[in-house]
Amino acid sequence: MRYVVAGYVVILTLLVLYSVQLVWRRRRLTRAVARAVSAGGTAAMASSDPGRGA
Amino acid sequence: MTDLAPATGAPAHPPVTVATNSGVTPPPELSARSRTTERVIGTLALVGTACTVWLGLWVTPPDRTQGDLVRLVYVHPGVAWVALYLAFGLAAVSSVLYLWPRTRSLFWDRLAAASVEVGVVFNVATLVSGSIWGKPTWGVWWAWDARLTLTAVLLVLFLGYLALRRIPAEPEVRARRSAFVALFAVLDVPLVHFSVNWWNTLHQGATVLNPGLTLKIHGSMAWTLLLGFVALTLAFVWMLLVRYRIGVLEDWLDANELDAALAERQAEGAESDDGTGMGGEPGDGAPTERVGVA
Repeated sequence: MRYVVAGYVVILTLLVLYSVQLVWRRRRLTRAVARAVSAGGTAAMASSDPGRGA
Repeated sequence: MTDLAPATGAPAHPPVTVATNSGVTPPPELSARSRTTERVIGTLALVGTACTVWLGLWVTPPDRTQGDLVRLVYVHPGVAWVALYLAFGLAAVSSVLYLWPRTRSLFWDRLAAASVEVGVVFNVATLVSGSIWGKPTWGVWWAWDARLTLTAVLLVLFLGYLALRRIPAEPEVRARRSAFVALFAVLDVPLVHFSVNWWNTLHQGATVLNPGLTLKIHGSMAWTLLLGFVALTLAFVWMLLVRYRIGVLEDWLDANELDAALAERQAEGAESDDGTGMGGEPGDGAPTERVGVA
């Protein structure tokens, strides 16, 4: 029976670890995209301010 | 699965409806319906897997020949089914659809890449669980048996596919060569499937997908086996949805990160020039032309 339990544990652990890694990767990338978008937004606002450089 | 709508044409992403003043167009958001679908599939996969484990370990009877070892049948063929037929099959279909000029879209390339990555995880699970089953049954952890060897070759081929995708290239170039490699690698799948019929192998014949399509398992054992297949298929779909979204975000960052960084530097420059009269004409600091590809 220990081989059976080992088989289940290996499969489930592998799938759970991969799922957690997927969620973590997605969260990290979503944050990176939000940062990039907001950086672009700050830049666009700063550079299109007509008062600047006058 | 509404977030998996194909986007035809050159852009890597479907057009977004959100207008921003950033000069950097954000990637399309997941719709509320897509998020709900993803959560429902994930929950069903979790519940289905838990029920399979409970039925497989505690409810179903031991086998007359194999005893308790037969309980591995509720998970081992399930992960093999996902890896070989669903994941690598979907990768092959997506690759064909990418290469076909009328359906060419980076959507298919991203779907193939997502499918292969998830398939590789299931392929590893297949090999490891098979090895654990083999030790008490055959007396060895590994044998250079036709099915085992061909399954290991399949893993190596698709690891090569994933390695190939990491080589820097234009998205279209990467997609085309990845599609060819996927189509070459998937040729191993029928060899794995028919290996138990074509050669003398240690591995038993197919329990479900045999030539006569006759179930060689019955009663609660058959239902638990079926539930295991369904639960692992749902787990695959959930992983595919999440992994596809990761591909969308990665592609967007590849194409736009440079734009965002340049815009940020321009903003810094505009701030440092503030009050010096060296800021240039209004509008000079508009976001640069897109440098990235896709």
